[in-house]
Amino acid sequence: MTTVNLQLQQVQERTAETMEEMWVNMGPQHPSTHGVLRLLIKLDGEIIHECIPYMGYMHRCHEKIGENRAYVQIIPYTDRLDYLASMYMNWAYCLCCERLMEIRIPERAEYLRVIIGELQRIASHLIWLGTFGLDLGNFTLFMWCFREREMILDLFEAVSGQRLNYSFMRIGGLALDVPEGWLADVKSFLAWLKPRFVEYDRISTDNVIWQKRIQGVGILKPEDAVSYACSGPVLRGSGFRWDLRRDDPYGIYDRFAFDVPMGTRGDVWDRFWVRRLEMEESVKIVEQALKAIPLGQVLAPVAKKLRAPVGDIYSRVETPRGELGHYLVADGSERPYRYKVRAPTFVNLSALPVMLPGCYIADCVAVLGSIDIVLCEVDR
Amino acid sequence: MTVEEIVQQIQSRFQEQIRTSEVRRGEACLIIKGDKSFEICRFIKEELGYDYLNCLSGVDWITEGEMEVVYNISSLKQPGKITLRARIPRNEPVLRSVVPLWGTANWHEREAFDLFGIRFENHPDLRRILLPEDWIGHPLRKDYQDERFVSYPWQDRKPGGVARPTSA
Repeated sequence: MTTVNLQLQQVQERTAETMEEMWVNMGPQHPSTHGVLRLLIKLDGEIIHECIPYMGYMHRCHEKIGENRAYVQIIPYTDRLDYLASMYMNWAYCLCCERLMEIRIPERAEYLRVIIGELQRIASHLIWLGTFGLDLGNFTLFMWCFREREMILDLFEAVSGQRLNYSFMRIGGLALDVPEGWLADVKSFLAWLKPRFVEYDRISTDNVIWQKRIQGVGILKPEDAVSYACSGPVLRGSGFRWDLRRDDPYGIYDRFAFDVPMGTRGDVWDRFWVRRLEMEESVKIVEQALKAIPLGQVLAPVAKKLRAPVGDIYSRVETPRGELGHYLVADGSERPYRYKVRAPTFVNLSALPVMLPGCYIADCVAVLGSIDIVLCEVDR
Repeated sequence: MTVEEIVQQIQSRFQEQIRTSEVRRGEACLIIKGDKSFEICRFIKEELGYDYLNCLSGVDWITEGEMEVVYNISSLKQPGKITLRARIPRNEPVLRSVVPLWGTANWHEREAFDLFGIRFENHPDLRRILLPEDWIGHPLRKDYQDERFVSYPWQDRKPGGVARPTSA
C-alpha cells in the first residue's frame, strides 16, 4: 500500500507541472457502470482528482407509486428495486409491514425465508463476483459464477415460477410452500457449491494480477464509512464487524451460528474478500436451517384487505448490498401515507467521491464495481 | 444508555423544542420544532454518541399545513435507535442542513429537496438528484399535479361513496 501511495505521489508531482486538469464523462452508456450511471471525473493525467456521480436515469418515483397502492400491491414493485436480490427485497418490505401490523408468521415460513434469503445472497454475491471479474478482465470467473447462479435461479423457478422477479413473499409468510423434494435439491446444490469456492480462489484470490489490481485501491477510511452511513460489505471492509443479521436480528437469524467477516484496510480487496467469505457463511446458515425446518403452514391468516394502525416505523434488514430500510407512515387506510426506501447502494454510492480521488482512471471501474451498485435501486 | 434515558436527556436539554416524545418498539421517538433541529442532531451525535444516520426522509402533512423531515439515527457501538421528526411550515419549508454532521445527509437532503421541495440551509450542493434539472414541481407532495399522471379509481372517490376493492 505504501509503495502504491509513493508511486502516486511521484506521478502526481510529475503531472502537475506538465498537464492541465480536465473533466471526463464516464457513462451513462458505459459497459462497466453496471447500469446507467454517469460519473463526471476530473482528471490530472491518469489520476482522478474529483468525481461527481449523476443518477436518476431510471427514476420512476417508486415511492409515489407505493403511496397509491394497497399494502399488498406494493410487493411486485419491490422486486424491481434490486432485481439481483428480489427475494430479499420482498422479504424486507413484508417484514416492515408485519412489524407495523404486528403479524406473527408461521415457523416454517420463517425457516423458508431464511433458506431462500441466504440462497439469494449467494446468487447476488456470485453475480457480483462474476461481473467484478469481468471488470478486471477475468472472463472465466464470470462464466463459472453464472453457472452456479443459474442453479439457484432454477431452484427459485421451482418455488415461484419466476427466474428474476419472484414476488414470492407475502405479508404474513410465503405465497406457497416449496414443492416436494425441493429441500433435498437445495442440499445437493450446496454439496456442489462448496468445492467451487476453492476453484474461484484459484482463479481470482491466488491470482497475482488480481491481487495487484485491487490491493490498496479505493480506500474508504473507517470514519468516512460511518459518516457516509455505508453498510453491508462496504462497511465491513472498512473494519466494522457489523451485520444486522447478528446485531439487530430479524426473523429467526438469532438461532443460527455464523461469522461476520470483516476487512482491515477498507480497500477494494477487503470488500471483495468480505463478500467471498460471506458466501461460505450463507452456506452454513442454509445448512443449519435445512436441519431444523419444521412442517406446517407457510402463511399466517391475514385479512384480505390489510389496514395498518396509525403510526410510523423504520424497519431495516441486511440485504446482500447492505442495510435496506423501509420507512412507512400509516394513516389507518389501506395504503401507506408515506413509503420511503432507504436503498443500500444509493447510500454506499454517495461515498464514491471520497474513495476515488488519488486513484488511477483504470482503477475507477474496480472501485465502482466493489460497491456493488444496482442502478434500479439507486434511482428508485 | 437506555432509550428512556435518551429521551430524558434530550428533553431536559431542549425542553421548549419538543412537541411530543415517547418510547415505542424500543425506539426513542420525538417530534420537534424545526428551528433547533441541527442543535438537537449535534447533541445526539456528539454527546449521546449516536453517530450513524440511517435514513432521512421527508413527509408532507398537507392537512396540517406542515412538512416533516425524519431522521432515523442509531449507532454501531451501542443499542438503541432514535427517530427524530422535525416539523416545519409547509409554505416555507426551510431547515438547517445536517451535512456538517453526517456526510450521508448530503444525498438524502438533495432527494428531499428534489421530491418535496424542502430547502436545506448551508447545504454544500443543493440541487435535484433523481429528477432532471429542468423538472417543474416536487412529485412527492400530496398536491402534485401532472397531466401524465394517471389517477386511480379511489382517487376520484366521493366521500361516503363505495370504495373499489384494492387488494386481491
